[in-house]
Amino acid sequence: MKKSQASLEFLSTYVWAFFVISLTIGALYYFGIFDFAKYLPQKCVFPSQFKCIDFSLSPTDVRVKLANNLGEDVTVTGLQIVNDAVPPISCAPASTPFEWSHSTDKEIAFSSCTGGAYIAGERVELKISMSYFAVNTPSKPVHLVSGKVNGRVTSS
Amino acid sequence: MEGSLQAKIMKRGKRSQASLEYLLVVALTFAIIVPTTYLFYSYSRESSQEITDAQVTRLGKSIVDTAETVFYSGEGSKTTLDISIPDKIGSVAIIDGREIVFNVTTNFGISEIVFFSPVNMSAAGSSCNANICSIPELASSGLKKLKIEVISKDTVKLEII
Repeated sequence: MKKSQASLEFLSTYVWAFFVISLTIGALYYFGIFDFAKYLPQKCVFPSQFKCIDFSLSPTDVRVKLANNLGEDVTVTGLQIVNDAVPPISCAPASTPFEWSHSTDKEIAFSSCTGGAYIAGERVELKISMSYFAVNTPSKPVHLVSGKVNGRVTSS
Repeated sequence: MEGSLQAKIMKRGKRSQASLEYLLVVALTFAIIVPTTYLFYSYSRESSQEITDAQVTRLGKSIVDTAETVFYSGEGSKTTLDISIPDKIGSVAIIDGREIVFNVTTNFGISEIVFFSPVNMSAAGSSCNANICSIPELASSGLKKLKIEVISKDTVKLEII
């Protein structure tokens, strides 16, 4: 009887300990202590043919500056921005189509961004895709290029 | 009697101190290892993306440059390139004889890396459909030999051998 009581007391002690530890970890998680992604550097990654030169994340706009390193003049036919949030970010892309000469830079803006946890001061990861065709290719096949912006949304 | 009780308490106190120290050391180790592992993993994931991009860029440029060199050497000229094809290439195709397109899968979507050739390129006859010639052998990773041959006065053929 004494042994079973001791066992029960032992178990109940550790259940409480487990409960307290779980609660503590949950609270730390809630306050973003375990969000290690915020310690990574802010980055904009695109294939080298459309090298990302700069980017900015303002509370309503997303801007990326890309360089056309294809060696060809292209026409951009579509732009899209998404993220993994539910619902994903929704922005108005720059109007397409537009011409883009080789060896020049272009600032691509997405305005009126809402949703997708796109909040000032928060760290976000956005996936940008762009479709284009080369003007000198006879059948003008459309190609897709994807990139990523990982950074903090500025306050103003 | 009192002395032995005191000794027991002392002994238990020492054991609990050892346990607490052990727990603290383990917790501290985890607190250092877990974030560090995550950060290194994230860095390496992005680096691998950049490495794939650089490898495909080098591969595409070398194919286009070699095709141009062989073309200007005249009809019947040929050469063989030893190429290393990285992972994550889904498909390779020649479009309109002037675009060689590598379909690359990245962790943020599919990207087409395109190279433009100043000379007309083609692939083995059976893989061509209308203006698109696919080269499936270029889409599997590893070391390959690519034969580049001038088959007519205006066309260079690419073929994995």
